[in-house]
Amino acid sequence: MQSSKQWLGAGLLALAGAAHAAQPSNEELQQQIQALQKAVDALKQQLQERSPTLSSASTETIAIPPAEIATKSDVEGLRTDLENYKYDQQRNRETKTALATRGTTIGGTIQTRATAQSPSVTTGSSTPANGRSSSFDIPLASIFFSGSLYRDYAEGRNLDYRIQLGYAPQSPAANNSNFNLQDAYLRYSPLPTKTGLEDPKLTITFGQQLLPFGLEVQTGEDLRPTIKSAQFLTTTGLVNRQIGAIVQGDLEPYVDYGFNYRAPLFQYAFGVVNGSGPNKSDDNNAKDWIARVAFTLPVDYYSLFRELKIGGTYYKGAKNVLNGTTIVDSGGKGDRYGIDLYYNHSPFGATYEYVQGRDDTYNAVTKKIDTITSRSHTATLFYTWGEQWLASSKSQAKFDDWWPKSYQLFTRWDQWDPNKDAANDKITISTLGFNVFFAETTKFQLNLNHYAYENPTIKSANELLAQFQFGF
Amino acid sequence: METLNLKSVMLGVLALAVTAFAPLAAQAEDKPTLIRFAYPGAGTGGRPQADSSFIATAHLQGALEQEFKNDGIKVQWTFFPGAGPSVNESFANGLVDFAFHGDLPLIVGRSTGLKHKIIFGASRFGNLYFVVPADSTAKTLADLKGKRIATFKGTAGQLQLGRVFEKYGFTEKDFKVVNLDTDTTKASLATKDIDGAIISPFDLQSRGVAKILFEIPRDPKVTSVGSVWVSEEFEKKYPSSVQKVVNAFVRAAAWTSDEKNRDTNFKLWAQSGNISYIDFQKTWNGYTMKERNTPLLDDYYRFTLQKAVDESRRFKLIRRDVSLDGWIEPKYLQTALKEQHLENYWDEYDANGNIKKK
Repeated sequence: MQSSKQWLGAGLLALAGAAHAAQPSNEELQQQIQALQKAVDALKQQLQERSPTLSSASTETIAIPPAEIATKSDVEGLRTDLENYKYDQQRNRETKTALATRGTTIGGTIQTRATAQSPSVTTGSSTPANGRSSSFDIPLASIFFSGSLYRDYAEGRNLDYRIQLGYAPQSPAANNSNFNLQDAYLRYSPLPTKTGLEDPKLTITFGQQLLPFGLEVQTGEDLRPTIKSAQFLTTTGLVNRQIGAIVQGDLEPYVDYGFNYRAPLFQYAFGVVNGSGPNKSDDNNAKDWIARVAFTLPVDYYSLFRELKIGGTYYKGAKNVLNGTTIVDSGGKGDRYGIDLYYNHSPFGATYEYVQGRDDTYNAVTKKIDTITSRSHTATLFYTWGEQWLASSKSQAKFDDWWPKSYQLFTRWDQWDPNKDAANDKITISTLGFNVFFAETTKFQLNLNHYAYENPTIKSANELLAQFQFGF
Repeated sequence: METLNLKSVMLGVLALAVTAFAPLAAQAEDKPTLIRFAYPGAGTGGRPQADSSFIATAHLQGALEQEFKNDGIKVQWTFFPGAGPSVNESFANGLVDFAFHGDLPLIVGRSTGLKHKIIFGASRFGNLYFVVPADSTAKTLADLKGKRIATFKGTAGQLQLGRVFEKYGFTEKDFKVVNLDTDTTKASLATKDIDGAIISPFDLQSRGVAKILFEIPRDPKVTSVGSVWVSEEFEKKYPSSVQKVVNAFVRAAAWTSDEKNRDTNFKLWAQSGNISYIDFQKTWNGYTMKERNTPLLDDYYRFTLQKAVDESRRFKLIRRDVSLDGWIEPKYLQTALKEQHLENYWDEYDANGNIKKK
């Protein structure tokens, strides 16, 4: 304040000095006043001319509030609002929020299905039962919890966990169901996961988990186009989760920065598991081993050959060979071989998977152990209308609960030969299907399955499945 | 009177149909039903909003929608939090007609075969702030050697970071460059999980979580140019619609460039939540709205884009060369400037970023 007064005084002195020095006449002063008056009028006119332009340009788009200075009361009001907000937050956290010891993601998947089939069946219902040609079912309901036990904010060398519980109908069927432990594992990433797409990945997973075998075994319900999985999953036992330690990773990723597209040239997985299935201790003293490699073509995202991958898996299994309930050999062969081809270039894609099983079995007639070779071919072609598989579309910024509605038409050919040396035992399922993805975690599926049996005594069958699959 | 036979009736109906639909077919050739504009970014929390340029102003004012209102053509704006690479992915899948792009994703997309034509420039110049956590002991960039520096890889920010490294005699290999988006970069500066980043600093400073290590006030060699392109296919099919799009944006650019709208623009842009109003006031201080919102494809634009192509190659971010020949199509911009009497509204800049003497 003192300083401004000094400046004002100095200014007045200067003006007075200047006036005194010039000493203009009254006429000159009059002329100066008139000139100044003209200048002021001209400025006023300019301002009036410009004001409508300014206001029309502004009001067409947004209304600009007049400049206001916040008063002490305004600030105190804002502070009160802030304090109230803080109190509400704390109160809600204590009384209305589910808390977890560690940051946790909760999710799950449920399927509700309607089936019509010919000829009628009795499977999956309580006994005794009449044959049915239609049914409503809940084939799947699972819930999972996942998160980080240790989170490395700096480089992402996280220690994560996942536990999943899943419903399964009881066998033989009853009014109740089983709710079993499915996934239960720790996963550690020894390599940084935050540095970028160009760096290799590596994880070590210990616990109960899916095997890294081929394509179908590792494909989750949310990605698999078909309602029912390929036959070999259940017939070879590869669908079963196993308890053990598995290392998975990749090397030499090809990165197309323009699209944030990453194609690891070389993917690998190897590990050791019990081989006795989920929720069980090992049933013999031999462990099962698995090794997988896959190569992805190192091309740009825009290339026609992007996401072209070929892989191979070997599972060395040791099983107890039984003669009735007696163990004949505790180190019997239970090996699985797989070759897979994957191509996904939106909107179309194709997969093919060949699986061979070699299982030792006791032959009661020859009293020897025979090795039975089983085989499976699964080929799928699909075409998608919509943006369901585009990362950019799914992550679009929207105010509402938008999701890119998509439609997928597919066909699958799935053949299972339980014993290559036996005649007339192949089963072939041909599927024509249509999927509608209409919300982020929800899809409607329609599958028409035709079962063809090589055995002439078994009639072919048809099955129409309609299913909602929804997740949370 | 002869009796009409069936053949005559059929021919008559066919002729009528051809006559009736011919004008429609001709009209359909030059008039899309939808114009899809993609923007490489979004507001905080996934808000579909842009900021920092006349593109954002045009969106918020509904400039394109107004332009095509009478034609019955819908305009669809899509905002990608995945930034430039997401725009490329969307375009590669046939979902984009026009887009705004920073230099790196534009160049990488072109190098891998995306077919588009640059039709005008958007955004240039500006200050650059290298920000470190508040308690960082670093005094210079050299003190951060071997430390974690964040950038959003695949975006123009990555190329800009490369330029800054090069300016001070370093390469990306001298640091641990980690890939984080803008929101995560801010959070990581606060938690000290990264040691530095190029980012708007003032809101972080006011929270006491970060400070400026150094500032590069105005260096046209470090900053780059933004571009707006149209797909070659769209341009070929609907040239008059392309012209209308450019007309609308040029009008918005002129409005944004007017100093009397400076404050209004900052308020509009701050709605996205990415950069605060105060940050806009401070970071745009010393710049005219005109110089940073010019749509011109002048010498500076061309030189800077070519430089970015060379840098992308040198930093091994592209595997194939990109030529500017046939890529830049200035005719729509020239027409819009002429029609709106704006030929001399914006200054042209030379390759060094100085106003060209006329």
